Amino acid sequence: MSYLEYTVKRVPTGLSKVLYVNWALVLLLCAVAAVGFLMLYSVAGGTLDRWAEPQIKRFALGMAAMFLVAFVPIWFWRNIAALAYAISVLLLLAVEFFGEVGMGAQRWIDLGFMRLQPSELMKITLVMMLAAYYDWLDINKVSRPLFVLMPVLLILTPTFLVLAQPDLGTALLLIAGGGIMMFLAGVHWLYFAVVIAMGAGLVSAVFLGRGTGWQLLRDYQYRRIDTFLDPESDPLGAGYHITQSKIALGSGGWSGRGFMQGTQSRLNFLPEKHTDFIFTTLAEEFGFLGGFSLLALYILIILFCVSSALKNKDRFSSLLTLGIAATFFLFFAVNMSMVMGLAPVVGVPLPLVSYGGSAMLVLMAAFGLVQSAHIHRPRGR
Amino acid sequence: MIRTPLRPLARILQARARGENPAAIERENLALRHERMRDQARDRAEGRLLMLGVMFFAAFLVVGVRMGSLAASDPSEPRAATPGAAIVAQRADITDRNGNILATNLATHALYAQPPNMIEPGRVARELAAIFPDLDEADLLKDFTGKRKFLWIKKKISPEQMQRVHDIGDPGLMFGPREMRLYPNGRLASHVLGGSGFGREGVSSAEVVGRAGVEKAFDGWLRDPANGGQPLRLSLDLTVQAAVEQVLAGGMRLLDARGAAAVLMDAQTGEVVSLVSLPDFDPNERPRPLTKGDPSESPLFNRAVQGVYELGSTFKTFTVAQALEEGIVTPATMIETKGPLVWGRHRIRDFHNYGPQLSVTDVLVKSSNIGTARIVQRIGAERQRDFLGRLGFLEATGLELVEAPSGKPLLPPKWTEISMMTISYGHGLSASPLHLAAAYATVANGGYRVTPTILAGQGRRGERVISEATSAAIRTMLRQVVSRGTATLADVPGYAVGGKTGTADKPKPTGGYYKDKVLATFVSVFPANAPRYVLVVSLDEPEDRTGPEHRRTAGWTAAPVAGEIIRRAAPLLGLRPEIETAGGFGVTLAAN
Repeated sequence: MSYLEYTVKRVPTGLSKVLYVNWALVLLLCAVAAVGFLMLYSVAGGTLDRWAEPQIKRFALGMAAMFLVAFVPIWFWRNIAALAYAISVLLLLAVEFFGEVGMGAQRWIDLGFMRLQPSELMKITLVMMLAAYYDWLDINKVSRPLFVLMPVLLILTPTFLVLAQPDLGTALLLIAGGGIMMFLAGVHWLYFAVVIAMGAGLVSAVFLGRGTGWQLLRDYQYRRIDTFLDPESDPLGAGYHITQSKIALGSGGWSGRGFMQGTQSRLNFLPEKHTDFIFTTLAEEFGFLGGFSLLALYILIILFCVSSALKNKDRFSSLLTLGIAATFFLFFAVNMSMVMGLAPVVGVPLPLVSYGGSAMLVLMAAFGLVQSAHIHRPRGR
Repeated sequence: MIRTPLRPLARILQARARGENPAAIERENLALRHERMRDQARDRAEGRLLMLGVMFFAAFLVVGVRMGSLAASDPSEPRAATPGAAIVAQRADITDRNGNILATNLATHALYAQPPNMIEPGRVARELAAIFPDLDEADLLKDFTGKRKFLWIKKKISPEQMQRVHDIGDPGLMFGPREMRLYPNGRLASHVLGGSGFGREGVSSAEVVGRAGVEKAFDGWLRDPANGGQPLRLSLDLTVQAAVEQVLAGGMRLLDARGAAAVLMDAQTGEVVSLVSLPDFDPNERPRPLTKGDPSESPLFNRAVQGVYELGSTFKTFTVAQALEEGIVTPATMIETKGPLVWGRHRIRDFHNYGPQLSVTDVLVKSSNIGTARIVQRIGAERQRDFLGRLGFLEATGLELVEAPSGKPLLPPKWTEISMMTISYGHGLSASPLHLAAAYATVANGGYRVTPTILAGQGRRGERVISEATSAAIRTMLRQVVSRGTATLADVPGYAVGGKTGTADKPKPTGGYYKDKVLATFVSVFPANAPRYVLVVSLDEPEDRTGPEHRRTAGWTAAPVAGEIIRRAAPLLGLRPEIETAGGFGVTLAAN
């Protein structure tokens, strides 16, 4: 049910919007970001200027962006969702042709003042697009094949562009995030069952065919899959990160070695210690308690988003809020599983904590959307 | 779904009667319906959300539990303190059956240059030329001052050279760690090991790939990190291999042969203890394949596995074994040997005239072509083919070397009567020395099929091909070939050598056979009473010129070389010399 069918009686305007911001959520975001600053300060060996300071500046910028987005009415964002999606896809295409190669993959566009990673932007604009799509679509038509096909195409187009970069982690996040959106929108569960069964069938066919005459892949490809799935079989090669981060977690123990006392991360055992693997530093210096506290903060952020979405009677707003919460969840769940050796290493940062510009800004803007939905939610009739 | 009408007639009429606006009723109902639909959608969405929530919660739980268990775990110390360790020992070692190293890895360095970082190209070029005399100073200077940003200077350098390059102290010179394959025993077992080289090369490491032999056949296994650095254990015995190579090379030189091959095999399991092909090469510096000429003359060619030859009279043993097995003859049955035997356009002759008749034992001991052909006439072509098939002569050996599939026997296009008769004494069918060794092992070990293998502990007995009794009878005959027949020079006191010679005229490429070029082969089984090992020695165009007339037959060439090998190798194999009981072991002396 969207605003088109509502008579909005009371929506805060002007400066009074400040009163309706979900301040608890803002506080939580600041807390998580502060954990990140501490860790970056520690990893850099007790200096601010290497990573912590740029990160703080970026967070401030992100905060500003969040409020900017938050004070713009949510219906504006719904109306430009398709445009935003189209621009993101074009940027992904641009990266394909004009992008700069960084870390073995083509992901960046140089805008002059910052380097933009369109795949980060894509994660949010895809959620926006899908929310707008299901807001537009009559709820009774949601499960018709044609109307299921459209969002599938909307998801797969950017996924393939991202895969071409190649960035497997982001591609998987896009598919998972999009799938969750469709699920929440109420697409019939049989579609999901069929897709999941087909996926499981394909995977088992690949593995069962191994060694028989119907082998689908070459032997060396199987070996690569083996080391990808079980990096610990190659502790000095593919499994190096995992081995080291497990040692860090183990030496952290219950309450950790203390701030700035981590050896594993500060002695350069981990090459990605300030980005994807920053969680190891936290776990080593603050132990299980520290790591679990961060997890709790993340859970609280998600719970705030979900409760805001449930209170919101506007379909676009609530789907958008839930989609952003799900994307956020996927981010940190995949990152933590990866660091703890539960999932293969795919490059996914720890949201708001890992050092990185695009991800931070885009995520803050996404929370701006959540705030906007919260502020401009329909009250009464 | 039951839809309530938006304009229920009764209420509209009532409203009209009351003079109210009926449109208000419709609006009210529309709003109600919208609310119902919204509630429905919400219910469904909340159900979905609940499911998702459960899944999320499960994920949190898994991550939390994992975090706890990792935090509770004892951190194991990092295993690799040195960065170089990540590159060393990527490829598994190869050892002989006793664990002696046949192939291992050596950490070395490659030298490369990044001219943009170079400070004094002139001095660097001069000093490099002094360290590596094969480099040209002017060429280096041209490379360093040209447009190139990167160039390799040396693929492998020694530690001393590396130190001297370090001492030049120019930041434009860089070292890349390399894992190099080293064969510490040089030429020893070169055809089995094959050799290796660099595949894809990068700055910080290079891929070592097998080029031939077991290095190529087991390339995937040797590179697989899942094996945990466990070496590949071959069935070869390093000391025996060295002894066999030395004696064979000596014999080849004395007899002026073009090439030679030897196979020493465990008669029970088929494990190859020694495999030699001469001329050989050094796998550390594997030569390039010949671009012209006969590839079978190249040192890279494995005569024992890839080479297929007509192996001559050594095949008579199989004919006799089959006749005994099928009950057609007994060792004492008299066979007509009056020659020549005429069959159509063909005439079969013997080397000597053996008189009108010989016993089956003597047909083998004296090596009569006519007698063997007469025996095989009673067997028939079909059954002969079948029997040779069960001995492994109809297909490649299946030894675990990449070269093995190319050692496919050459069979007659049609297995006619005349091919049957020539094959019975070893002409018209070409097989490798390895085939011969496996077939003799089968015939001598009590009759169990033997499949050759190069891996330690992989050998096993196959199905029964001939009976124990037939095998025993053949062993007795083979012993007599050495004690009083064509191969007396192969006798080694105490080891009861049994065997069979084979001298095959070499075929001309143009058709027909050379009169003065032979392939001399001697197969031996020792100890003949309880066979432990089979040895095949094969010499290509040997000639003993010490006597008044030049002798080429295997009894004068291959047999003494084989005898010398057994004399040297048997003690190394742990066999004790035994005093033979007088009169052999139950030999029927009737034919004497």
